Amino acid sequence: MLPRFSSHLRVVYWCVGLLCLAGCTDPYLPDIIKTPPSYLVVDGSINPQGISSIKLSRTYAIASATAPPAETKATAYIEDDAGTRLLLVEGSSKGTYASAALTLNPARKYRLHLNTLAGKEYVSDFVPVKITPPIDALTWRAAPDGVNIYVNAHDDTKSTQYYRWETEETWEITPPYQPTHEYVKPLLIYIRTPFPRLCWGFERPSSVFISKTTALTQDVVADFRVKALASNSERLYTRYSILARQHALTKEEYAYWELLRKNTESIGTLFDPQPAQLTGNVHCVSNPAEPVLGFVGAHSTTEKRLFIARAELPNARDLLSGYEQCLPPDTVRLPPKGVFPPPKPAEVLEAMFGSPAYLPITIEQDNSGQYVLAKPRDCVDCRTRGSAVKPSFW
Amino acid sequence: MLLGFTGYGQQAEKAVSGTFAHMRFEQFVSQLEAQTNYRFYFDSKAVDSLFVTLQVQNQPVRAVLEQALQNTAFHFAIDDENRVFVSSAGIINPALPGDFFQPKAATATVVQAEEPVAAGPTGRSRLVSASEYKVYEVGAGGEAGSKATLAGHIRDQKTGEPVIGASIYSESPNIGASTDQFGYYSLTLPVGRYDLKVRGVGIKNTKRQVVLRGNGKLEIEVEEDVVQLKEVVVEAEKDKNVSGMQMGLEKLDIKTMRQVPTAFGETDILRVVMTLPGVKTVGEGSTGLNVRGGATDQNLILFNDATIYNPSHLFGFFSAFNPDILQGVELYKSAIPAKYGGRLSSVLDITTREGNKKKLAGSGGIGPLTSRLTLEGPLLKDRSSFIISGRASYSDWLLHQLSDKNFKQSAASFYDVTAHVSHEINEKNSVYATGYYSTDRFRLASDTTYHYTNQNASLKWRHNFNNQLYGVLTGTISHYDYDITSDSNEKTASQLKYAITQSNLRADFSYFPNSRHTIDFGGSSQLYNIAPGSFLPRGDASLVKPDVLAPEKALESALYASDRFDITPRFSLSVGLRYSLFQALGPRDVYQYTPGESRTEASLTDTVRYAAGKVLATYHGPEYRVSMRYSLNDRSSVKASYTRTRQYIHQLTNTASVSPADIWKLSDANIRPQVGDQVSVGYYRNFKNNTIEASVETYYKSLRDFVDYKSGATLVLNHHIETDIINAQGQAYGTEFFVKKLTGKLNGWVSYTYSRSLVQVNAGTPADMINGGRYYPSNFDKPHDFTLVGNYRFSHRFSTSLNLNYSTGRPITLPLAKYYVGNSLRVFYSDRNAYRVPDYYRMDLALNIEGGHKVKKLAHSSWTVGVYNLTGRRNPYSIYFKSVNGQIKGYQLSIFGEPIPTVTYNFKF
Repeated sequence: MLPRFSSHLRVVYWCVGLLCLAGCTDPYLPDIIKTPPSYLVVDGSINPQGISSIKLSRTYAIASATAPPAETKATAYIEDDAGTRLLLVEGSSKGTYASAALTLNPARKYRLHLNTLAGKEYVSDFVPVKITPPIDALTWRAAPDGVNIYVNAHDDTKSTQYYRWETEETWEITPPYQPTHEYVKPLLIYIRTPFPRLCWGFERPSSVFISKTTALTQDVVADFRVKALASNSERLYTRYSILARQHALTKEEYAYWELLRKNTESIGTLFDPQPAQLTGNVHCVSNPAEPVLGFVGAHSTTEKRLFIARAELPNARDLLSGYEQCLPPDTVRLPPKGVFPPPKPAEVLEAMFGSPAYLPITIEQDNSGQYVLAKPRDCVDCRTRGSAVKPSFW
Repeated sequence: MLLGFTGYGQQAEKAVSGTFAHMRFEQFVSQLEAQTNYRFYFDSKAVDSLFVTLQVQNQPVRAVLEQALQNTAFHFAIDDENRVFVSSAGIINPALPGDFFQPKAATATVVQAEEPVAAGPTGRSRLVSASEYKVYEVGAGGEAGSKATLAGHIRDQKTGEPVIGASIYSESPNIGASTDQFGYYSLTLPVGRYDLKVRGVGIKNTKRQVVLRGNGKLEIEVEEDVVQLKEVVVEAEKDKNVSGMQMGLEKLDIKTMRQVPTAFGETDILRVVMTLPGVKTVGEGSTGLNVRGGATDQNLILFNDATIYNPSHLFGFFSAFNPDILQGVELYKSAIPAKYGGRLSSVLDITTREGNKKKLAGSGGIGPLTSRLTLEGPLLKDRSSFIISGRASYSDWLLHQLSDKNFKQSAASFYDVTAHVSHEINEKNSVYATGYYSTDRFRLASDTTYHYTNQNASLKWRHNFNNQLYGVLTGTISHYDYDITSDSNEKTASQLKYAITQSNLRADFSYFPNSRHTIDFGGSSQLYNIAPGSFLPRGDASLVKPDVLAPEKALESALYASDRFDITPRFSLSVGLRYSLFQALGPRDVYQYTPGESRTEASLTDTVRYAAGKVLATYHGPEYRVSMRYSLNDRSSVKASYTRTRQYIHQLTNTASVSPADIWKLSDANIRPQVGDQVSVGYYRNFKNNTIEASVETYYKSLRDFVDYKSGATLVLNHHIETDIINAQGQAYGTEFFVKKLTGKLNGWVSYTYSRSLVQVNAGTPADMINGGRYYPSNFDKPHDFTLVGNYRFSHRFSTSLNLNYSTGRPITLPLAKYYVGNSLRVFYSDRNAYRVPDYYRMDLALNIEGGHKVKKLAHSSWTVGVYNLTGRRNPYSIYFKSVNGQIKGYQLSIFGEPIPTVTYNFKF
């Protein structure tokens, strides 16, 4: 609600700069950013009640558009404070290492031990095992400004205290068109493989949800909001689902996530808050000065899923489909009106549909002749907005 | 008068032509004698250093001589026998008894001839020079061997304004004093006869012959030095650098400031202050000063004794002080007098002129973005005067001329008005009143309007108890507020507001018991009232939920005393103590937190309610102010000082530069006051007959408990701001080299500073620590800093100014790389402030053209033509990173990335 001050401030410098015909923006690419450090990133945790999965990757250039480089062929094992080792094996997915289904001794402390292919050795700090209590409830309530989703949890033993949640959202997408024709140069033919009638959108928000109960007399999390949807959100248009995954944290891991949360909110301009360097609890044994990113905790996870159907919502009529700007369809005349001499239909078709970004929907006829209804791909093919593979839980 | 004159109408007069290039005066005269029937009389020894550069075509002798001698210490007279008498001021007629030539002076021609001498720009007025030769007898019947105090004011003879910082001294014995901000001096001498010399910047040298018999008054009127002559300034500066007590004090008068080129062609007091050693700023569009490694909130900015909370216009592109009304500025950066307190790093004392006490006058200027106008004059001749000055921008109008739609929706306007009245009730009592109002309003290609206002008033009563004691009672009110209004969507229309009001009452006394002691003492008390923030809906349709922070209130009081003791003529010591007391007052709810844990909402344990007027937190402590000076010889001295300061109000700005929406927060139960200690040592030496001053000062400063912010702190509308603030420790050290030449055709200064400013946040939990609790460079840590401000005067009409700036780039925290954790993109940042933006370098050039110095001209005018950033270097103002489709790209924004030409027209009437 507050005015975004920093962005306006940037504008005034533009204004005044332009008044003197002088303000200018240049790319800023110092050497340190051009050749960024390649530090090991350890993502995952030790699961005392099941399969532990750790993903190893590297930091890479901020301007890069590719996936992060995976750290493959490393040796990884979980180690307890008595020296017992439990091996993790790299699976088919490069850089992801998984253990067998394990049950760890809650009385012991555990850590992750890594040896990279390049011969470097890394260990995380020993951490106590935390057993995550179940999520008591994942509920939603409609408020005037939208739909809020809350998580509730408690631990009667008062040993959890620090909580973190991750969410995954899935929603159904119904595209407004089902094309009967497709363009195969030089003709419009009956469609061979129909476009999917339904898709499922998916998002894993990068927001960090953490809460602590240390100031309370009981270890209870009551109605912690993990999601706020606008009251007309297109995600609610037909059916929406959210999965909350709960992690019990140690105090140290909580502090790590708290910093990570603050760092994610902005990217260091003069007017934004100062970010902080953040590493975690993994160290390079061979070179203690080398930063390693990631915090390896030892805790189980619990999860709960919630569905919201259109029919349950009080203001379902207000919901947006997300396809509002796709209606009505465009009309492509064959031959086009008012052009002389009329171009050949094949030329018109090639000009309109030669690129995959614009799709024919169907052919119709009226008094002035044949025409094609058409729309950009995003209005037709729901795979631009999600996956056509139905999730297993749907 | 010596001169009678009939030349104008004479048939016999011959015209003069010729080109004289740096010609000796005698040679010049012989050429004139060859071309005309005039005969010259002069002392050849007196003119042996006088050279003439002139080109004339068929001009009468009188006009040629006027041009040749303009801007020199010489003037001439022509009698009716075509005899020309050339002489330097002081020797010629005015010293002669008034009736010496009286019979001749009775003719009409004398009246004509007298005028150029009496009022000409280089002539000395009869009044002033006559008083040099008069012997003043002061006091009655003091015993031989006893001492007496002579006191009075030094005033400008033309305008009646006090001359500040002028020195008056006797050479044997070597005893002197300088005038204070009222132009007042007090000098204690053994009874006897003295030649008292008066020297000062911008005034002509003069002296008074005094026979001192007992305590008494001597009012001195001096002439303004229109064109600074070499001899004058040499003497004027003699005392300051080496033999002055103060160290870490920079004084600038408005004339010096006018020579420094600026981006918008307008003299800008804060920009000039930034060229001084030890003063830095984060960005060129910012007026936030960092003095010797201190934060921007650690400077006490006083405008005629009232605190200014936001000294800038338009986000810092202009300073909020109209140059036309300013007298000068003093920056105390190490030995802060005990009289001042409440800020850690420096005191910037800005004073206005008093206004012309003799006649109505005006001045003004027209620049590319602003225009200004000043009127001044007497209310009661010689006793009271007023000055009122206004300045306004028309950037609003300019914005609307631009074709871009965004600019048309924008608005940017500001103005400021200053008024000052001074009145001398009688010899012993004077009152001064100042009002100041400055406001800004802008809307930037959006629906959000920013508006802020400074309102200040001060009233001062000065009472002379006797020659040795005077006191000043000052009451001031400072008010600053801002609001940010958003109106575009009626459902979310809202206004965010902040306001601070400070009422201050203080009494200051100066006591001069004898020539070896100067004692200052006094006390002050100020009440703060802060409305720390409110967020309210605008209009009936707005759905915004009102959010108002509880007001803050506090009382800050202090008592002080200091003694400047000249132990021997070579060794002086100044010892001062200030004791300050701060009480945070209710009504207020104070939150308490779990001890030993990072303060967050989650660690909040209790709320204690304090009723109105109840003291919820008290802080107090001594502030030591000690300084000493030891003269090695006439030309060099060593000075040292130790200063402790305490600060109870903090500016909350989580951005690297100052913005108008920053919040001032008082210390309270959860936020401790800041304490600073500074030790500095300096060596001062004057060269070349005191024309060049040089100094080296080195300092070490430690700062305790200044505010720093946790990562991602929220400062606006935060009901528990202490959860986002941490107490930081700091240290700063550096060495400043300074060479100044304020006289001659070539003048200016060069400074080089090596300094560091480091911060440490090593308290609380690891999450609160920054860079693992190690020292790291502050936002304004720029180790190398070089400044050259130069001015070369070709003639009294043309001068050029050159400004060179180099400094190490500002520290920055960079996003070094990115990575994925928990399937989300994260950025890996460097340690805080581990890298630096590219070095800063800028060169500015200006040409000042003065109009002719004709006395009868309706208005004096001048033009300033300048180019800011001559080399067009793209100094980064801001570096920012934007995330576009998962790619994070860095950009640097240069606000003055091209040479910027400006033209300003100034006038005076």
